[in-house]
Amino acid sequence: MGIIKKIIRWSQLKSPWILHFNTGACNACDIEIIAALTPRFDLERLGVQLKATPRHADILVCSGPVTRQIKKRLVRIYEQMPEPKFVVAVGSCATSGGVFQGLYSVEGGIDQVIPVNAYIPGCPASPQAIIDGVVKLLKQLEAME
Amino acid sequence: MNDRRIWVEVPLADFMDKFSYAVKEQGFSFLCTITGLDEGEYLSFIYHLAGKDGVVLNIKTKALKDKESIKTVTGYFPSAAIYERELIDLLGAKVEGLPEGIRYPLPDDWPAGQYPLRKDWDASVLEKKNG
Amino acid sequence: MDDKDKDVRIPFGPQHPALKEPTSFSVALRGEKIHSIQVRIGYNHRGIEKGCEQRTFIQDLYLLERICGICSHSHSTCYAQAVEEIANLQVPKRALYIRTIIAELERVHSHLLWLGVAGHEIGFDTLLMYTWRDREAVMDLMAEITGNRVNYGINTLGGVRRDISLEQKEQVLKVIAKLEDQTKYYIQVAQEEVTLIQRLSGVGKLSQADAKRLGAVGPTARASEISADVRKDDPYAAYGELDFKVITDNHCDVYGRTLVRMGELLEAYSMIRQALKNMPDGPLSVRAPRKIPVGEALSRYEAPRGEDVHYVKSNGSDKPERVKVRAPTLANTQSISKMLEDRYLADMPIVVAAIDPCFSCTDRMIEVEEQGVMSWEQLRCYSIDWYKKQGVDFGGKKK
Repeated sequence: MGIIKKIIRWSQLKSPWILHFNTGACNACDIEIIAALTPRFDLERLGVQLKATPRHADILVCSGPVTRQIKKRLVRIYEQMPEPKFVVAVGSCATSGGVFQGLYSVEGGIDQVIPVNAYIPGCPASPQAIIDGVVKLLKQLEAME
Repeated sequence: MNDRRIWVEVPLADFMDKFSYAVKEQGFSFLCTITGLDEGEYLSFIYHLAGKDGVVLNIKTKALKDKESIKTVTGYFPSAAIYERELIDLLGAKVEGLPEGIRYPLPDDWPAGQYPLRKDWDASVLEKKNG
Repeated sequence: MDDKDKDVRIPFGPQHPALKEPTSFSVALRGEKIHSIQVRIGYNHRGIEKGCEQRTFIQDLYLLERICGICSHSHSTCYAQAVEEIANLQVPKRALYIRTIIAELERVHSHLLWLGVAGHEIGFDTLLMYTWRDREAVMDLMAEITGNRVNYGINTLGGVRRDISLEQKEQVLKVIAKLEDQTKYYIQVAQEEVTLIQRLSGVGKLSQADAKRLGAVGPTARASEISADVRKDDPYAAYGELDFKVITDNHCDVYGRTLVRMGELLEAYSMIRQALKNMPDGPLSVRAPRKIPVGEALSRYEAPRGEDVHYVKSNGSDKPERVKVRAPTLANTQSISKMLEDRYLADMPIVVAAIDPCFSCTDRMIEVEEQGVMSWEQLRCYSIDWYKKQGVDFGGKKK
């Protein structure tokens, strides 16, 4: 099965497919994530494609501080993703709760609910920072070989 | 001082009459929103009604917490339903006559009897479940 | 057999490619037609109003700015206005003009964003790419003037924190001249492109009577010929001194909402020019006390999505007694069920997108291998050269 694993790894690194999920954010990070896919920054030239379903995704790109209402759905989506999977937390809210830290309906960051592989700070995280974060994650995966 | 704002307070028993008068005869035809406040023994409700020339009538009434109820104004403004649901969820207000519907804005698994916007409520009463 | 048994209920959201934010709809279908729909929102509820009571007035300014990343200036200004009214602060004229300019620039970026998203929802991805590329010019302007692409932080209680310099003024005028040409092109497309017209006409119909009854606001209401705009009806900031039209349309459907937003873009360019020309000199803010005197105020603001309402009550301390926010999308969600009655499932994304929902009522360099670090201009030239080698010439086109 060694060669199949190699192919999977190679395709993940060369063309990671992402699923974008908003766990109750103010939208600023989400708009910047989508802006990263538009002609100015163009993530698609790196092979990154935005997918509609968790079952097709390699990387879960998450924003928001995780509200109580959305928590169960986040876990469900994470479980629906096939292995090997990675999670990127975009923005200060996803990292630590941001300005919403301590509010009663907020869990306080993605890593309170699911394991996170990379954190991209910023309020909001600029598209350049997002690209930087995704590239760093991919480099790390490559180095893991 | 903003001269396009009117602030009045009306006792609960007269409220529906005065509200009807404001809407039907004084031309306050748009309900901006309903603000609920916790004022100790009472829950207060301010109905923000917008009329002509940018004037907003802020008409307030009070009800004893957990004992008295207010009547729904969805007969005048169907849009009031969601504002009234917010009062019920966050302040534990009692609203008579509100048609059945899904709660807003709290999650489905929110513990009963917990009203976050009440002054004596603190987030520490919730068990923090960490996944 | 009960009619209800014929319905197939499908969930739509909270995770769905058409939705940028979590919302849940439970749609009862008969075949492809929507019979009834239940809207479940609240996924974005973060407990901000309670949080406001536990933070000082100035901290709340920055918290409320992050209610929404697209209309952050709306919330920040609306709140600041309420607090300034309670404390009886006379905000200097120059600050009011700066707030107005930023507000209209925000409207421009928001409507361009909407145009792109609407295009995406109907499968017109080219429009998404074009409008979001144009939008980047506005984001750059914002970053220059305020320091951030989003969540500008330009307001303080009593005025604004930064000035607009003469060079920035010139930049703004240059950028809006370009955007105005682009917008006129989009309007032409919307009026002549048959597939677009057919796709958007008759979809999401909301009669004037229904719009009034259900309390619709903003472009959603104005497309049903309701001439309500807080900037005209209840002027704030510098709007009382600007000359502009309220754009309405009588199509009562998504096509009408598209036309209204594009008309508002043109009005916004005109307002920005007027404001830049007539902006008086003077201080940028007055000092606001830490403890705000007892009082209450209701502030209204015309956000890109519609009327935003903030109620603030103070009790004499440095923290507010109560802050209530009613964002425009909450007023518009009531109309969704009506708009989707008897429509096809495929219309759901565009109809929901047409109210422009915002349920959360928010000298750069890159490194390229071998080349080291490049500036933006170098990167652009690099990419044009790269494509030239592939036989595609972008260098000549000035778009």
